Amino acid sequence: MIQARRLTKKYGNGVLALENLSLHIEKGEFVFLVGPSGAGKSTFLNLVIRREIPTDGFLSVAGRNVTLIKKQEIPLFRRRIGYIFQDYKLFPNKTVGENVSFALEVIEVDPMEIRDRVNFVLDLVGLIHKTEVFPSELSGGEQQRVSLARAIVNRPLLLLADEPTGNLDPDTSWEIMELLREINRRGTTIVMATHNREIVDRMQKRVIALEKGRLVRDERKGGYAVEA
Amino acid sequence: MKLRTFRYFFREAWRGLVRNRLMSLTAMGTITIALMLFGVFCLFTTNLQYFSNLALGRIEIRAFLSESARNYELLKAEIQAIPGVQRVKFISKEEGARWLEKALGNKGLFLGGENPLPNSINVYPARGANVENIARQVQRVAGVDEVVYGREFVRLLHIIVRLIWVIGFGLLFLVMLAVLYIVVNTIQMTIYARRKEIEIMKLVGATDWFIRWPFMLEGIMLGLGGALIAVIIVLEAYAFLNNRLGQVSTVLSLLTRAEITPYVIGGFFGIGIFFGALGSLLSVKRYLSI
Repeated sequence: MIQARRLTKKYGNGVLALENLSLHIEKGEFVFLVGPSGAGKSTFLNLVIRREIPTDGFLSVAGRNVTLIKKQEIPLFRRRIGYIFQDYKLFPNKTVGENVSFALEVIEVDPMEIRDRVNFVLDLVGLIHKTEVFPSELSGGEQQRVSLARAIVNRPLLLLADEPTGNLDPDTSWEIMELLREINRRGTTIVMATHNREIVDRMQKRVIALEKGRLVRDERKGGYAVEA
Repeated sequence: MKLRTFRYFFREAWRGLVRNRLMSLTAMGTITIALMLFGVFCLFTTNLQYFSNLALGRIEIRAFLSESARNYELLKAEIQAIPGVQRVKFISKEEGARWLEKALGNKGLFLGGENPLPNSINVYPARGANVENIARQVQRVAGVDEVVYGREFVRLLHIIVRLIWVIGFGLLFLVMLAVLYIVVNTIQMTIYARRKEIEIMKLVGATDWFIRWPFMLEGIMLGLGGALIAVIIVLEAYAFLNNRLGQVSTVLSLLTRAEITPYVIGGFFGIGIFFGALGSLLSVKRYLSI
């Protein structure tokens, strides 16, 4: 699903965000991306979604060489990738249902199909009864579930999550993790950047650790940190 | 593109306009003012051109013949052959005297004395013909002694018309830049309010045009609104002035309102739409590079 070889990203101000990163993520995997702030986790996700272009090296996502994707091909490319954020990024003036259907409207899916798919994903995240509610009336965990519904309503091959539990208490975080696990079980590859030690330790999934833009650890079933 | 999507674009554009009411009105007002300036300028110059053409059409060249010239028919034919000459008329010295007496209101001016006037040929240029050029060629015809026409007047008119075009276009250019600047700023207010929305749209795979359209429509609506107001004001004011002028003077005739209406409407709406669309395209550009 994701293949990186000697991937390097250097910003205009001289900051070396990623250096010679090589990794391989298979279809259907669940991967945690860990490391201190500024280690390059967000940069990596931004490269995967083609918000940034690699300075050097090779990166292929879903069979496409990211560097070679033309500007006008970016929208189509991104329709195969879901993305959730720490701050949910929901529209405050749209209802839960509208927030989710928006992702389908911009790609001009038929109204009937939109309704079916929105109902399906809202049911999956357990918020079907809150379709007409506005985000401000929801708890943080519920808002993140809405954003998750929006990310998967497009049936992406790959789901990127940038600190999805960063603003949530432990119990709510687990609800989100359960959902992610379920989505992964249905075949979607998941890459999640996180600082949440407890979640990483308990999930026992593959862990890729970055530090100062370099790969320092890649374990099949790892914990947040190496045992002392 | 689907109809439903287009409805969505319209809804979004309208929302943008309403959300930034004050700025929208400012932008529309600026477009109106700019178009009015443009309109006044264009109407003034076209009417001046129209008037000067009329005046030039009425100018006649008078060719005084030498004493020795006798074959008037040949001379007439020769002058008639000059390009741009519509008509020629032979005026004998007696006719000339009668005309002069009448013009001066002094009968018997030349009675008893010798008639000092030479025979002459009046040359009437075709409308829009180059009077100066014709006069020069008439001068060269053998038998023509002297050529008289309103040379200074013709020259002055030409210079004035040209000057007004040059200065006017310079000023117009500046005004149009100001309009563009204000439209860009107005649209940017809407875009700023919706930059997060744009980011999410980009991330879920909306195309650039899908994102651009609502803003384009918003700009076009601004342009259309501004143009509509300008069209109404300019046409009404023009009819009023034209009417007033008609009461004061019969010599100065302007183009009628009916004659200018299609050009004013076409021009104003065209320019309004163009600037609205261009302004919004320029302002969206920066936010699309995510």
